[in-house]
Amino acid sequence: MSEEPQYHLQLRRGDVGRYVLLPGDPGRCEPIAALFDSAEHVASNREYTTYTGLLNGEKVSVVSTGIGCPSAAIAVEELIKIGADTFIRVGTSGAIQPDTPNGALAVVTGAIRDEGTSSHYLPIEFPAVADPQVVDALATAARRLKIPHMLGVSQSKDSFYGETEPERMPLAGRLADRWNAWIGGGAICSEMEASAIFVIASIHRVRAGGVMQMHSGDGTVDRKLLLGSAVEALRVLIEADRNQQQWP
Amino acid sequence: MPVSGKDEPQHHIRLKSGDVGRYVFLPGDPGRCEPIARLFDNPRLVAANREYTTWAGTLDGEPVAVTSTGIGCPSAAIAIEELKNVGADTFIRVGTSGAMQPDIKPGTLGVISGAIRDEGTSSHYLPIEFPAVADLEVTRALALGARKTGQPYRIGIAQSKDSFFGQHEPGRMPVANRLKDRWSAWVAGGAICSEMEAAGLFIVGSTLRVRVGGIMQILGHHDQSPMTAEEKASVSLDDLLTTAVAGLRELIAHDRVEAGSL
Repeated sequence: MSEEPQYHLQLRRGDVGRYVLLPGDPGRCEPIAALFDSAEHVASNREYTTYTGLLNGEKVSVVSTGIGCPSAAIAVEELIKIGADTFIRVGTSGAIQPDTPNGALAVVTGAIRDEGTSSHYLPIEFPAVADPQVVDALATAARRLKIPHMLGVSQSKDSFYGETEPERMPLAGRLADRWNAWIGGGAICSEMEASAIFVIASIHRVRAGGVMQMHSGDGTVDRKLLLGSAVEALRVLIEADRNQQQWP
Repeated sequence: MPVSGKDEPQHHIRLKSGDVGRYVFLPGDPGRCEPIARLFDNPRLVAANREYTTWAGTLDGEPVAVTSTGIGCPSAAIAIEELKNVGADTFIRVGTSGAMQPDIKPGTLGVISGAIRDEGTSSHYLPIEFPAVADLEVTRALALGARKTGQPYRIGIAQSKDSFFGQHEPGRMPVANRLKDRWSAWVAGGAICSEMEAAGLFIVGSTLRVRVGGIMQILGHHDQSPMTAEEKASVSLDDLLTTAVAGLRELIAHDRVEAGSL
């Protein structure tokens, strides 16, 4: 038993379930927890807010990571230390492919390591790959709820404005070239945390995946579809684990 | 400018449209094509040029083929590019590999979910940060194939290297320390097996929007200690090949259901 709370998350063993949803925004924790049974606020420190509740009778949690891989890496490391072993990143993203329907979900199969954190763990050649069982659970959930979705690779970047306003960066040409390469490679969405979460999960032999709602254009999107699909995917995983089902 | 015209055979693999179906096995060794093709219905030799040998046949009535890639990503990239040009869109790498984890017994099958880009070819396509990821449906089908044949299997990441002897005899390389450090990192990251083509195939496959997966027989031990006589006797290449074919049957059945539901 670790009596001292984790340094950043301020959580102890028992405070969270093995299943954890990881939004970036602390403000998104409460609306996600509202989809749990008997949800309670557990801790808030810096950008890390935690709620824990039940799904299908199993303890589950939602912990915000803050923006970017540096803070997300800390969250995942400390959550693993207190017993979590299944992670679903949930959040918003920019669409990369032309003709992406606004609001469609990206079920992330792997991530471009366009960030600095994961190279503190493994050489850059190592792929940031989502756990296939988690990917399949997310796809199953989106199918069940009839939410438009696609499977594919996410770009995990360190600079938000390098993506949205590349022309004003001194490295404008390089940013544009690389963005075109991600399009050519078939990447579907751009966000800021998935690759480090996946690489750290590989090292700890835990499961991680992600579902991102894609914005393309200015229209509003229905956030309930994103949150509902992530929660439904947790139910799929909880039931598979209860029945000791091997994937596939 | 394309190297080959529309109705001319492809420059290296010497195949034309219609010579193969959409499903293609990709072993490294040309000598392994015939034993795989013997598991098809109506197998026939279609072409042989350089390291590229192709056999075609059918499985459950569906045209399937096997084309050898030769060793390494440079020749494997050529194979998948030219096969896409003649209409193939689903690829299964099949071959042998070296063990990387202490808890994996020799002969276990590795279903490859992603690959370490420890090679030069894929960087001619995409920056190194881009992940070499297998197609989920191909991965699922190969794992189901292993369940069907009863073979022990693991799903995980492969190291795709450019130097066979850099892995097997790192100590004699001038960059010995770097090779050993990186090997330790791959093991710590959870990589299950070491081979030489998957990363190039996955990355080129991503750019071509085709499906690629892989199944490898894992031989040897993570610490390079030799296999015992008993271990050698327990491993048969047939187990890999029959499982790969069982996996492709699963995929063909899955694709037929999907096509029917559209």
